[in-house]
Amino acid sequence: MTDSAHPVLGLDEVVHQRVRLGILTVTHEARRVEFGYLRTQLELTAGNLSKHLSVLEQAGLIAVEKGYEGRRGRTWITLTAAGATALSDEIRRLKQLIARVEPARATGTAPKPQEAS
Amino acid sequence: MTTEAAPADGDPRRLLSDLRALTRRVRLDQRMTWTALLVLAVLTLVAIPFDWFGMQVDCAADGSCTFARRGMLYYWPAAMVLAYATIAVCYLRAARTRGLGTRVLPYAITGAVTTIVFPAAWLAVFLYFRSHPYPDQPLPYWYFVLDRLVMPWGMIGVALLVLVWLERNVGLLLFTAGYLALVLLVLPMDFGMNVGFGPPHIGIRAGMALPQLFVGIVLLLGAAGFARAGRRRQQTP
Repeated sequence: MTDSAHPVLGLDEVVHQRVRLGILTVTHEARRVEFGYLRTQLELTAGNLSKHLSVLEQAGLIAVEKGYEGRRGRTWITLTAAGATALSDEIRRLKQLIARVEPARATGTAPKPQEAS
Repeated sequence: MTTEAAPADGDPRRLLSDLRALTRRVRLDQRMTWTALLVLAVLTLVAIPFDWFGMQVDCAADGSCTFARRGMLYYWPAAMVLAYATIAVCYLRAARTRGLGTRVLPYAITGAVTTIVFPAAWLAVFLYFRSHPYPDQPLPYWYFVLDRLVMPWGMIGVALLVLVWLERNVGLLLFTAGYLALVLLVLPMDFGMNVGFGPPHIGIRAGMALPQLFVGIVLLLGAAGFARAGRRRQQTP
């Protein structure tokens, strides 16, 4: 994709999803995050969160480490280098999208159909 | 945060706003500001007896006195290493309990650097005046500010600035700005060398102890304030 192409074209379908973006954001900020913390912050069921984590893990964006603290099992999630890059790319694309939409809103003109596609 | 996919034609501004809110929540959960301030307050207050009893004061018959703060030189480097290690461990343990990781490396590096700066500055001044005469003119103002900056209390302010950056904590930034202004510009670090009671060797020691007591109390009050603010935040739904 060239720099002049519409930012929507560069959005990664694995990353461009509210929950998965949330997982990547929290993991990026925390460096390492526990399953329970993510579930609470993102207000998800364990099953739902597990599905999203599997998608991200299969894409190589996060690493999942299971272990025990005492007798209690704990699952820790860390961001991979690819995950950090994917997150920063996604945020850059979102900012580009906002920058594209804002001038159109300010002048009261809608973006051309070929630009939005 | 909902579980639906963010559609390509969704509102990216709202998405970014949600991500910013998440980031802010994580940072708030990683904070342990009051612990850092409490450890630094204890560090400062415990230094007082070391400075008092470790100070070498020699007074002549004409009332003039010379003094050397040996206790400080021995106490602060070791105490700073211990204090910054304690703070780093507290941050890591608290974050882990909450299900998070945290960044402590920049703080540990700053702690190590600030630990070295004070004895290095002391040694530099000591070596300089071994081969150079003491100036008979008043020293420029910036010299006193620099001198206060490399003292342990100034270095605590520098370490707090790093903590401000790590925690992205505006409240701590305001506190640190006030603290540094107090330590570098306002508070006399020797109360005129002699607070005016008792024999000179007591007066000189008391003159050095008072500002340390004041700095320790300010840090303690800061710790209490941030602890209270943290509790209030946790109680707010």
